[in-house]
Amino acid sequence: MAGRRPKIVVLALVAIAAMLAVPSAQSLPGGISGVQQSGCNCHGAVPSDSVVASIQGLPDSYNYSESYELTVSFQGGPSQEGNSNQGGFHLWASDGSLSVNDATAQLYNENEAGHTEAGNDQTSWTLTWTAPTTDKNVEFVLHVNSVNGNEDGAGGGSSGDMWSKVAVSLSGPIEVLEAADPFVVLGVLIIVSATLLAITLAYVFYRKDPDAFDWDNFAPWLADWLTSTDHKKIGTLYFVAGLFFLGVGGIMAMIIRIQLAVPGNDFLTQEQYNQFFTLHGTTMIFLAAMPMINGFANWMIPLQLGAKDLALPRINAMSFWLQPFAALLIFTGVFSGHGADTGWTGYAPYVVSEGAHHGTTMWAAGQILLVASSTLTGINFLTTMAVMRAPGMGWMQMPLFSWSILVANVMLFLSIPAFGVGLIQVYLDRVVGTAFYDIAAGGDPLLWSHLFWYFGHPEVYVVVVPSFGIISEVIATSSRRSVFGYRSMVYAMAGIGIVAFIVYGHHMFTSGMSPTLRFVTMLTTMLVAVPTGIKVFNWLMTMHGGSLVYRTHTLWALGFLVTFTLGGISGMFFPSIAMDTHLHESYFVVAHFHYVLVGGTVFGFFAGIYYWWPKATGKMLSEKLGVLHFLTAFISYNALFWPMHRLGVWGMTRRHHTYFVTTEEALGSLPMEAAGWNMFITVSGFLFFFSNFILVFNMISSSIRGENAPDDPWGGWSFEWMTSSPPPAHTLYKLDDGTWGIPTLKDANEHIANEPGIIGRWFQRLLVSDEDTGEVAH
Amino acid sequence: MAHYKILGQDPYWMNFIGLMVLTVIEVAAVGIELGTTITLAILTVIAIPKFFMIAAIFMHLYGDEDSGILTLTALFPAFFIIIMVLFVGLTHPDAATGLPDWCRPGNYGL
Amino acid sequence: MSGGFALFLFTLAAAFEWGEFMGWVNVPLIFVSLGIVGVGLLVWWRQDWSYGVDGKESMHLWEPKSTGTPFQNIDIRKVALWVFLMSEMMVFTSLFSTYMRYRLGIPNCKTVFNSGDWVEGTAVNCFEPASHLIASSWFHLAPGAINTFALIISSFTIVQALRYAKMKDIDENVRRKKVTRYLGTTWFLAVLFLTLKMIEWFLGFPLPEFMHEFNHGDSTIKSLYAEGYLINADHYQHHYYDTHYLESHGGMDQDTALYAMMQEGTHPGGHMMANIQVSATTFYVTTGTHGAHVFGGIVGLTYMTLKAARGGYTPDNAVSIEYFGLYWHFVDLVWVLVFPFFYLY
Repeated sequence: MAGRRPKIVVLALVAIAAMLAVPSAQSLPGGISGVQQSGCNCHGAVPSDSVVASIQGLPDSYNYSESYELTVSFQGGPSQEGNSNQGGFHLWASDGSLSVNDATAQLYNENEAGHTEAGNDQTSWTLTWTAPTTDKNVEFVLHVNSVNGNEDGAGGGSSGDMWSKVAVSLSGPIEVLEAADPFVVLGVLIIVSATLLAITLAYVFYRKDPDAFDWDNFAPWLADWLTSTDHKKIGTLYFVAGLFFLGVGGIMAMIIRIQLAVPGNDFLTQEQYNQFFTLHGTTMIFLAAMPMINGFANWMIPLQLGAKDLALPRINAMSFWLQPFAALLIFTGVFSGHGADTGWTGYAPYVVSEGAHHGTTMWAAGQILLVASSTLTGINFLTTMAVMRAPGMGWMQMPLFSWSILVANVMLFLSIPAFGVGLIQVYLDRVVGTAFYDIAAGGDPLLWSHLFWYFGHPEVYVVVVPSFGIISEVIATSSRRSVFGYRSMVYAMAGIGIVAFIVYGHHMFTSGMSPTLRFVTMLTTMLVAVPTGIKVFNWLMTMHGGSLVYRTHTLWALGFLVTFTLGGISGMFFPSIAMDTHLHESYFVVAHFHYVLVGGTVFGFFAGIYYWWPKATGKMLSEKLGVLHFLTAFISYNALFWPMHRLGVWGMTRRHHTYFVTTEEALGSLPMEAAGWNMFITVSGFLFFFSNFILVFNMISSSIRGENAPDDPWGGWSFEWMTSSPPPAHTLYKLDDGTWGIPTLKDANEHIANEPGIIGRWFQRLLVSDEDTGEVAH
Repeated sequence: MAHYKILGQDPYWMNFIGLMVLTVIEVAAVGIELGTTITLAILTVIAIPKFFMIAAIFMHLYGDEDSGILTLTALFPAFFIIIMVLFVGLTHPDAATGLPDWCRPGNYGL
Repeated sequence: MSGGFALFLFTLAAAFEWGEFMGWVNVPLIFVSLGIVGVGLLVWWRQDWSYGVDGKESMHLWEPKSTGTPFQNIDIRKVALWVFLMSEMMVFTSLFSTYMRYRLGIPNCKTVFNSGDWVEGTAVNCFEPASHLIASSWFHLAPGAINTFALIISSFTIVQALRYAKMKDIDENVRRKKVTRYLGTTWFLAVLFLTLKMIEWFLGFPLPEFMHEFNHGDSTIKSLYAEGYLINADHYQHHYYDTHYLESHGGMDQDTALYAMMQEGTHPGGHMMANIQVSATTFYVTTGTHGAHVFGGIVGLTYMTLKAARGGYTPDNAVSIEYFGLYWHFVDLVWVLVFPFFYLY
């Protein structure tokens, strides 16, 4: 023990030295280093530095309601006297109101002005701008297009044109506080959460044994957590990390919702918004959902199977530790304003273009690490389930949660190499200059789409199928009977697992891919709903044939049934290619996948937390708080996502940093109610976000002063309920007669509903281990 | 280890000889320059037995007591590989001329 | 141990990333991170070393066997390895699919050339398979062919190593020597593979005098790099696509549209310029990924050879050679597929 401390100190010093040595970028608030704002372009032309745009006529600081005559102009580029067209502009002012002086410019709304057809032939225009009466800083963004006049050329005349932009910031008469910079907000919130997490952990550690709270005990405790290969510890690590990132993703979602609360909001610029929704998606799927699944799986699978540990414990540890480092990589660049802004789907060719921020490369790199982590996890679990079940436990005696993890992991490690290869291609394209997605060289952006969605679709099933497993367990236990139709459940899950690979084209219906493939995928997508429907039916029949006990986890399972079914139904509008063409990239999609992801996966997690928390920690969670959590969260969740269906049908587009409402039937604008609904959604979002703190509070208070949990608080029938709560820590240790000590399941029959008496005692005897040798073999 | 013999000799040694022979044929086929399609056919026809020889004999998928299930394990991804090749490899929008008709999406009965 | 391992990944990704972007300043960090890789690996190996080397009799070696049907009594790690190989199959399938997609989708340079549908001075997008350069002469093929033989031989030697490690009734010293020798040979062949690959890619090799006449009088075999087959080659020119060269060397194919155009005097120019970035990219990345897997094997082999030299392989723990052998055979298998379709066709 004493020898470990210097090692840890050395390790910590090396880590700190490494981190100091890594080159860093200057971050807020002194200045964002080199933020590039590519923004939107003009008529499809290319940006160029040779075109210089300018706005003249602005004062040093504006006075309230005063009008200023502005001249917007540009120099440079291919525009010249004698061209049939010379140029165009688009001016956006964040505040105040614009008005036009003549027919060469037109007003889109009081904040935006552009040129008219008549105004095509000049390089400067005049406008009037009236200052607002607020004290806010006003941002002007001017885009100019320098046209070379080849009307009949390629691209409808826009080939050879060059655009540029300039941004000017104008302050009012009074120095006002700058509007909150969202990155500052995000950073502060993340640091605050991390600190709170650390303090909480330390506090919980303290409360467990106040006398032992000193450095001598802390260092080995920490070292144990850092280097353990015990599946229970790793499960906890995954779970805590996942929960933390669930919170971080939630913070990002809140910031997105602030931006979308009112039309035309300017809390986030377009650049920032792109980064936020990219990171929200990536964080939630890869850093929150997958780790939490792994947390549950690591904990419960060996217990449910009667195995000592997973098949490859060291690799299990590596799988976990790849995650935080991958997270670091993915988040690199966020705080300097350079985070990945490609959307979590990272579509080519934008993802390999100069326009995408530098953080995109790190995003790809981090995800490559996550691919490695997931592959190893998949291998580990598949092997464990194939080979380490208790003797006598055949495939058809495995608990349904184990089956769900098996199906999920098989899907995962077969599909994720495609994603990994795609990421490596993107990474190499961005770093080394290979030409996988270089269109000029013949690269095909659809290749990325294929590779990504070949992985992406099985991935979303990977994320939701374990929830199916949890719900099966929870409903069975709560109904006090075994699940109805065990065999059909297994076949349904396996069917989902296989069919998932041939439906991925439905994410690409509007991409221009092979029509035959579109047709095939349409049919298979409609097909894949069938096994899921079978499962829902079986769950309902389970409850019908049993007698339901209402605990918190039961409530969550019921909530899951409602929301997941709704999400599934809303998803059934997409296989029809015609419907999909209308609904693609709209909020209908957002509503659908949040219904299945949050209403499905996360509700499954919550059910699992309430179900297995006593087993894992040995303490009970408060039922009262649990019910409160459920009620507030369920109601606010539905208020949050249900209106999005309507918004989607109206045409509100996703991944756009803002939207506009109008009373007219203008294209691209929404009816006036949309603004109200968006505000309603934002408020519900905040309610949902804060309601989850009830759960956090519940967890903390239970750790500190919860009542001790019995071995089997709910009357469950699978193996994990036959160990103590919490199960004893056991490491692999040398056996004195060289045999492999596994608990045996002598009389396995159709259900695992065996008499706990005899078998349970066997199990207990074998599983309660001797002293911790501290030596981790294998 | 393999308990059987090939042609009366050690199976690994014979497998090795066989693989060398096939490789020589492969290289020769290209060197003689018979035209793209025929060369491709020869290469494919030779690659398949090579594949099986390595998998079956070197990787112990033939003749070991555990080979049954391991072979199934090894062949399990075949479905997924076929899907990927079909959906990703053969659907380039411009792949008009390179493929024989029976191979192009739209022509194999779908 | 796992902490150290993960830290290396972090610094590796960070350093490699910035290094490429920012020039040579950040290269030292790459080595730091590689060093951390090494440390992590060493820790891992140190654990394994204690099993069986230096004759620790008290710590006997068991290889856990599986209990669940249908994998009963198969070593757990063997199953794990096959599962891993499954995922590796998907990796190479993805790469092959990419290659297939591009090769079938982009017109072949030769076809484009012969159709005369190009203009001198403007780069045309076309697919130039590496085989055009590699399979053009026996000398060019030599490194690839030798590599194929090398891998097959190495597959054979690793099987022999396993056999001798497992053999029950031979003298320990004899076993040690044989296993070490076979593992060492495998290692050597793997290194040879990578060396030849580097020669083929970058270095080229000179020919002895008497062979010059077989090589059109050239004294060296050019590497792919020297021929201009690069991933950033957007104005690739080769004498295959030079009408003057072909005319003088008698290589013009008479029944092509190009020839007809030349007879009429309307040919587009002398030398076709091609953008072959995609072809080069798919070639280098696919064969490079395979090479990276070979390199991983070399790292493992290094450890195993050292362990064998110390007598660490006995019939009890010989199975770890089998696991590596499985991986190695898989690498060979992939090469069996890569060689004909990338190098020969």
